[in-house]
Amino acid sequence: MVNPIHIVSIALGVAFALGFLGKREKLALGIVYTALAVMLAISASWLSHFWGNVTEPIQIFTGGFKPPFAINLQMGLAESVFTLLINTAGLLGAIYLANELLKAGKNMMIVFLVLVLGLNVMVMTRDLFNLFVFMEIQSIAIAGLVILNPDRKSIPAGFKYVIATGLISSLLLLGTVFIYYFGGTLNIDFISQESLLYVKGGSVAIFLVLLSIVLELKPFPANGWALDVYEGAHPGIGALISAASATAGVFVLDKLMVFGNFTFFNAISIIGAITFLGSNLLGIKQDNTRRLLGYSSVGQIGLIMTIIGLKPYLGENTKFIALAILLSHYLAKAGLFWLAGMVNADKLKDWGAIRGHRIYLFLMGTFIFTLVGFPPFPSFFGKWQLVMQLANNHHFWLLAIILIGSFFEGVYLFRWLGYAIKWDEVEQNYPKIKLNQFIPTVIFAVLAYALGFYFGELSGYKSTFIYMAAAFIAFLYIFDFLPVFVKNTLAIGAMALYYFANQDTFHGLTSIFFIIFVIGGIITLLAGYTFKGKRTGFYPLVMMMFAGLIGLLEAKTTLEFFFAWELMTAGSYFLIIRGKKSMEHALSYILFSVGGAYLILSGFGIAQIGHTGMGLDVLKDVHYYAPIAFTLMAIGFMTKLASIGLHIWLPGAHAEAEADVSPMVSAILLKAGILGLVMLFLSMGPQKLFGIDVLYVLSWVGVLTALMGNMMAAFQEDAKRLLAYSSIGVLGYALFGLTMMSHLGWLASLSIVVTHFMFKSLLFLAIGGVVMRTKTKYMYQMGGLIKQMPFSFVSVLIGIIVIAGLPPLTGFGGKWLMFNAIMENGWYFQAGIAFFAGVISFLYCFRLIHTIFLGQPKDELRNVKEAPFWMLVPQYIIITILLVLSALPNSMLKPIGQILLNYFPDGALVWHGQLAIGPYGYWNGKLILAIVTIIFLAVFAWLYIINRKAQKVKQFNIVYAAERPFRPETTHFAYNFYAPYQKALGFLVAPGITNFWDAVSDGAHAIADKIRSIYNGNGQTYLAHILGFTVIVYILMNGGF
Amino acid sequence: MAQYLTLEFIAMLTGFILIIIGLWGMITQKNLIKLVIGFSLFDTGLNIVIVSMAYVKNSTAPIIDKAVDVSQAASKIADPVPQALVLTSIVIGLGVTALMLAYVLRMYREKKSLDINSYTDLRW
Repeated sequence: MVNPIHIVSIALGVAFALGFLGKREKLALGIVYTALAVMLAISASWLSHFWGNVTEPIQIFTGGFKPPFAINLQMGLAESVFTLLINTAGLLGAIYLANELLKAGKNMMIVFLVLVLGLNVMVMTRDLFNLFVFMEIQSIAIAGLVILNPDRKSIPAGFKYVIATGLISSLLLLGTVFIYYFGGTLNIDFISQESLLYVKGGSVAIFLVLLSIVLELKPFPANGWALDVYEGAHPGIGALISAASATAGVFVLDKLMVFGNFTFFNAISIIGAITFLGSNLLGIKQDNTRRLLGYSSVGQIGLIMTIIGLKPYLGENTKFIALAILLSHYLAKAGLFWLAGMVNADKLKDWGAIRGHRIYLFLMGTFIFTLVGFPPFPSFFGKWQLVMQLANNHHFWLLAIILIGSFFEGVYLFRWLGYAIKWDEVEQNYPKIKLNQFIPTVIFAVLAYALGFYFGELSGYKSTFIYMAAAFIAFLYIFDFLPVFVKNTLAIGAMALYYFANQDTFHGLTSIFFIIFVIGGIITLLAGYTFKGKRTGFYPLVMMMFAGLIGLLEAKTTLEFFFAWELMTAGSYFLIIRGKKSMEHALSYILFSVGGAYLILSGFGIAQIGHTGMGLDVLKDVHYYAPIAFTLMAIGFMTKLASIGLHIWLPGAHAEAEADVSPMVSAILLKAGILGLVMLFLSMGPQKLFGIDVLYVLSWVGVLTALMGNMMAAFQEDAKRLLAYSSIGVLGYALFGLTMMSHLGWLASLSIVVTHFMFKSLLFLAIGGVVMRTKTKYMYQMGGLIKQMPFSFVSVLIGIIVIAGLPPLTGFGGKWLMFNAIMENGWYFQAGIAFFAGVISFLYCFRLIHTIFLGQPKDELRNVKEAPFWMLVPQYIIITILLVLSALPNSMLKPIGQILLNYFPDGALVWHGQLAIGPYGYWNGKLILAIVTIIFLAVFAWLYIINRKAQKVKQFNIVYAAERPFRPETTHFAYNFYAPYQKALGFLVAPGITNFWDAVSDGAHAIADKIRSIYNGNGQTYLAHILGFTVIVYILMNGGF
Repeated sequence: MAQYLTLEFIAMLTGFILIIIGLWGMITQKNLIKLVIGFSLFDTGLNIVIVSMAYVKNSTAPIIDKAVDVSQAASKIADPVPQALVLTSIVIGLGVTALMLAYVLRMYREKKSLDINSYTDLRW
């Protein structure tokens, strides 16, 4: 083992020796790299020494005396980890900055080495004054790096940094000498907390020391100086400040907290939480890349401060949580700063320049998902564990603050990612890949995945399925150059393989979802054969979404469930954003999803209080606050379901997606919300929140969703939006059915769920085919397509018959069951609304078929062809299944009923062949199909006979009045099709909810804008902030002077 | 009152007064040079406070020889540690002040202004 003191000696020695090299800059740089590599190797060797062994840390004495009479350094497991992090960031950061270092010359190299040295000693030293010296050295070094590599903005930023850190260090020094004065020693291990806190001066000294460390970590709002330097400095230096310097700072705070008593711990957790919330809130208003990263850095460090402050509650878990979040921050922030340097785009929108570049986007996506805490990255497991522990300790306010802060962080990070993927108002301009900048970034991205795996192992996450799926997704990503039909076949093959391997695994209700997810996936994937070329990036994402969906079924624990949930969200986000005008819709989708996911997460957190395991069955036996947990989770799942109030993301997201993505996200993905509710309702049963039956409230939400969804569908001009709103309506019915908690209600709901999968994929595929051919989604630009697209017409016809719940097709069965169930439950008010909503669904169904396929054909669409063959194949597979199920309704309803008997033994249907007998009547699907078919054929034949002699009138064989409309589409009969209804009822669907969410968003932005005006750019104001912060925290902690 | 009229108390008080003057200067003076002087005053005050701590009445230099033998050392000699600290602290203060002035120079070259209000391009 090399003595760790050599980390210091090598850095110092080389820094001095560089002076003797004359003008040989390249040689100098080589020596710097060697030195940094050796320093890295020393920390790594110590890490391997301590890894897994319970060895006591070793002490390195200096000056020939033992402590407390001389300075000693300590090297233990923690120190080896942190110095390794610092030296890795140092070496890779120096490689990244190679050109800058060569240009600025040896002076900058020396300063760089000194910075890394300072950070190392900050971690290792056990002497308080020594700590002060090296903190000062690192501040000076950072300021030195900024001044040595100036651009127009960095100098004033560097100045603000120097005066602010100068003031902070002076406070630290003041505290340090008074600790010596009252405590008699400077050695951290010999200072006794009790004796210091006993005298007033001693406690002030401790306060000054700890608070100046906190100030070094840039607490909100005393952090304007730090934001400026993040924005002004070269991104390579920003990366060092954010990753290495903050890492060392966090370690120092943790080390010095031995002086702090309970009040200090509390104060630090509160300061951290306010910082996390405050800076993420202000971040949403930010449009400058580096400053945004600054806000995010400050926020993340705040979160870690909170975790350190919570140590008395978190106990042994602190290490895991803090490391998971710190490592994610470290990798992602350095990575993003480095990327920012490569892409060199000041404004967030300028990142549109890299749209379509697979590698840059992959790196950026990796880092952003790491920061937000998505699986499989360490932060996901860290945040999970943190939420569980906060719930266990009943820290609900803190939990809320952290989740709200995380949400704000999601807002600006996903908006930024969206710009990079989609913003097309800037020129595409791929920066040339410079290896010295590229390799460090890639290494950090790879580390993010590797550490994610490791932290997953640590938290007991093991899912063979997800690992296999991940391997397959990675395979598809690597072999993305293959043509579509190969990849499509592979994808379908994988799904089919999974189906056959697992068809006996799932029993009970999960088997229904298993069929929808897997078979549904295969059917909708068939449409993928339509596409030519490579369809870059599509297949890994599709498989990610399906892996998430299936993962929900495979999940045995709440952690696995949540992992799969987030995976599905990530996959579907990327799928949705692939659509043409989908940037803002994808953003609102992911934000609602993230918000919903946090509600589910906190629900899981509350549910497991007092349990030791994390199995999903904890939901069956919730010890504390069960109604609250229930409500949180229900709202979370309803976000995915797009229930009224939470639905505004859906129409855009589903309508703007690609032709075969719409059926996937609408017909299949939404069912994840139902799956969640099914699991929740079955496990927890009815709950009363403040004396109100939550399920009863949800039943109203369900019917109102059905009503509003259907009404809004009827008033759409865009065919895909119409279908999207109709999904909202139908799933409102499904929710309503579930809330009845009866056999018939659930049977109705689940049969609606299954048929919705079929008719919605059918309709979205059919309309998707039409849109592909006509190149428009607006119904008033179509018309008369029945002759050109007869197969699509039949698909839509069958689809709307099912949707409208008309006999003889299966939709009717669902409706019949629903009304039986309502009668049984006695919910007559809701029944009225549900019935009314059903009538409205006729309106949009009729509009859909009439305006697209009937009426006047458009001149420019006279020559469109039938939809592509591979779009039709899945449609006709679905039609076949629909017809079979309609003729033989018991083939679907009976097995579902059987399953439900386990949960709701009373009130089941009685089956005699295809004859179902319910409490209020009976229904024979086969007979009805026969009767309706006979009537249809008879009428059809009659019309055929009497119309044989009718004269055919050509389309233009009519006289138009000489109108000159201002907007031509307004004269089309299909435009504003239901104007009278809209006049009568339109007020009901005025975009009140959209306005509400817009107002929430505007409000948040306005507040952020107001608050951030405290950062007025004046260095002096920042000094005043620091002093004011110190005084206010002191008063709050001590209740006066 | 009399117990306060000791050398170490007066020294410490002076130190704190300097610290406060320095802080006042840093927060109120718009001129960059004056601001740096404010910091320098703060720093000096801090150093005086450190030195004042080491003072032990009627004591001698912290060298153990014929004049002071080991058994009486604790009561007879001034505390050497703060004196060592203050040296380091002075050096660091020098470094920081120099760096600040270097920045002021660069800023002045760029905008020909020493008013801190002219350097607020980065904000919000």
